[in-house]
Amino acid sequence: MSRETIAHTVFSSAAWLSAACTLMVFGFMAVLGYPILRDGLLWDMLSGPWSPMHQSYGIRPMIAGTLWIAFFGLMLAAPLSLGCAVLIQVVAPRGFGRLLHNVVHWMTGIPTVVYGFVGIFLLVPLVRQIFGHGSGLCALTAALMLAVLVAPTMILFFVQGLSQVPRSYLTAAAALGATPIQRLIYIMLPNAWRTLSAGLVLAFGRAVGDTMIALMLAGNAVALPHSVLDSARTLPAHIALVIAADFDSPEFRGLFLCGLILYLFTLTASLAVRCTVTSGRQRP
Amino acid sequence: MTPGRTQQYLVIAWAWSCAVILVSAVSAVIGFLLVRGAGALNLELIFGHTAALDAVLLRRPVFGGLFPAIVGTLLLVLLSVAIALPVGLATGIYLAEYAQGRIRSLLGLIFDVLAGIPSIVIGLFGFSLAIFLHQRLSGRIYPCLLISSLSLAFLVLPYLIRSTQAALESLPFKHRITAPALGATRLQNIRHVLLPRAMQNIAGGIVLAIGRCAEDTAVIMLTGAVATAGVPKGVLGHFEALPFFIYYISSQYADPAELSQGYGAAIILLIICLMLFGLNKVAQKVVAARLYTNVAKKRWQKNGP
Amino acid sequence: MLCFAAGGWCGALDAFNGETGTIRISGGTAHIPVMKEAAARIMSSHPDIQISIAGGGSGVGIKQVGEGLVDIGNSGRSPSDEEVHKYGLKMFKWAVDGVGVVVNPKNPVQSLTTAQLKDIFAGTLTNWRQVGGSDKGINLYTRDEASGTREVFWKKALAKGDITPTANVVPSNGAMKTAVANDPWGIGFVSVGHIDATVAPVALNGVVPTLDTVRQGTYKVARGLYSNTKGAPTGLVQKFIDYLFSPEGQEIAADKGFIGIK
Repeated sequence: MSRETIAHTVFSSAAWLSAACTLMVFGFMAVLGYPILRDGLLWDMLSGPWSPMHQSYGIRPMIAGTLWIAFFGLMLAAPLSLGCAVLIQVVAPRGFGRLLHNVVHWMTGIPTVVYGFVGIFLLVPLVRQIFGHGSGLCALTAALMLAVLVAPTMILFFVQGLSQVPRSYLTAAAALGATPIQRLIYIMLPNAWRTLSAGLVLAFGRAVGDTMIALMLAGNAVALPHSVLDSARTLPAHIALVIAADFDSPEFRGLFLCGLILYLFTLTASLAVRCTVTSGRQRP
Repeated sequence: MTPGRTQQYLVIAWAWSCAVILVSAVSAVIGFLLVRGAGALNLELIFGHTAALDAVLLRRPVFGGLFPAIVGTLLLVLLSVAIALPVGLATGIYLAEYAQGRIRSLLGLIFDVLAGIPSIVIGLFGFSLAIFLHQRLSGRIYPCLLISSLSLAFLVLPYLIRSTQAALESLPFKHRITAPALGATRLQNIRHVLLPRAMQNIAGGIVLAIGRCAEDTAVIMLTGAVATAGVPKGVLGHFEALPFFIYYISSQYADPAELSQGYGAAIILLIICLMLFGLNKVAQKVVAARLYTNVAKKRWQKNGP
Repeated sequence: MLCFAAGGWCGALDAFNGETGTIRISGGTAHIPVMKEAAARIMSSHPDIQISIAGGGSGVGIKQVGEGLVDIGNSGRSPSDEEVHKYGLKMFKWAVDGVGVVVNPKNPVQSLTTAQLKDIFAGTLTNWRQVGGSDKGINLYTRDEASGTREVFWKKALAKGDITPTANVVPSNGAMKTAVANDPWGIGFVSVGHIDATVAPVALNGVVPTLDTVRQGTYKVARGLYSNTKGAPTGLVQKFIDYLFSPEGQEIAADKGFIGIK
């Protein structure tokens, strides 16, 4: 066999091996979670409360907790990130904007566990004091820290989106007398909305998948959260806490259901982003 | 209606306040850490009551110090990147150079999915893999350094694939036609022309992967990181790691001394990760410069001036 | 150095002379301080031995030792007959401990009855005012289901009453102590050996949970600290278990706030 063929085989096997890894993860989740389906527990697990003492292994409170905290975090982070991106790209592109861009770049390197650690000792007592009741370990605290975590990546994504708007549009608008802010509102935002929404979806995926912040800051109660000041548990935190259970028990199997749900969620997010971005490229 | 001047000023004000909020948030986080933890940064933090030289040469075990956790993190990073690098690089080359059409988009989609998988799911996978191997293959396998490294390799594979692919694809088209026009094979072109020029961006991906391995907690929490294990003596043993130590200490410090250890550990981890980031930029420039001079030098030697 | 300091108790450590290998320990979080100290002493005088310690709770300890993932599984409750039968466990009880209710030292409430405790943890009593404290909401802290401490608390202190699902869940005794120490209006339960100046013990039906009341039997919420192995322990593991029962080991247990079995 010639060198070329060997090289080709090596490269393609590596690629298919990597692809296999992705599928293997899914496979393990599905196969190990299968007994739930087989034993007819699926509906109960998806809709019931978590109470092993009463033989109820529902993960509905955890699903709700995950979505609440992620949604809240995103609600806090999105306007913040857009504002910063606007500053970097439009308002102060040469001065403070560059500095902010570098700061944001560095921020993406801060480890999650450090955010969680600081959250416990700085944010939790603060939230407890501000609201006067509750332990400070709640969905709000987790959402606040999560917002600080996902904001840098979102900002970078938004900046990239805004910068990819065709220059000709901007020059044309400038020639007609538009100010930078007018160019932003009328040209950049409408043209970049695909990348912006992709950034939102990716950040949401990241927020849903984060373990440490929710584990350390949200309280981990098993009840369905009814307000932002309630203690809540997310699916990743649930997996981390329950990993101890007996291997054949429904509790343990339930973990693979959690894993599957998370996997499918991020799968959908990735697909959505891909579709948005590709359909954007196909436009004339 | 065109936005009047007030509305434009409002937008500008909003942008600035967002920036201020963000910067204050991150300064609060880092500042808090530095203020509370700066006092903890000393040799005792790392080596406990053991002499530094004895600890580093592994002559005596360290108790109450971060040394085992630092070594654990180091080994983890080395092993994971060693596993993920060849596969990731080769996959990136395949995607950029060989794959076409349907296969290319399919693989691209699969790797996007891989990149999105939450770390806890990968940790769960690693844990169940360990149990599976333990029950089917050998009773000696259990969640350990090797399993953790394997799982972390899964985690960082997408970074390496993406950066290799992006680096190769962003090279000017002329690099793909010049050498082949002179008779080089595809492999020779990749090896001698494309890779050296793409190296600086690939190096960026590698550094990102290293950073990710160093900071990840969810994966190692489920696959072998424990509270106390000393310096790992082999890949099939339990190990300590810095991020896990921080998590563990944050919820159960026994006294203020241990808490300040936690702060110290957080600062050390922060410094490591931020340094890697800075290293990224430096490495890119260094790698580019060296490779260019090497390539030019070799050509000069071979073919004369 | 430790040998000199401990005087004539070097004997127990001598049993490890010439041994190499690893001992993997996991399980009950109450045991961890004792395990850490024992491991430190053994490893400093015998650098060829490596001991790794993980937490996770009593449930984890039993499951992991049963599955062969660790050599010693610690539990703060005795393994059930089912568990012993399924895994072939050998149990070794080397100390006695209690489970006490704790609140923040700033909290004026120092004593509760079983009925009040049940109502608090069930979620029906929600304000400290209702039990003689300030007008603030009660913040509950509980443990996850794998916890032996929780099981003992639920059985003996709560008389199998419900624990409301809105309680915050912490993963270990140390974490419980930290949580309550940092929350002025929190209440939780923790191993008596872990109680120190950062938390205030609450008298249950007039009896304060201390080492003495547990030893005398006046404080009823007590449990043994077990180390379990799969089948009879051999070699290094056997020596470690023996060490726990030796005078030096019992001294460590007493030092960390437990009551030695001897």
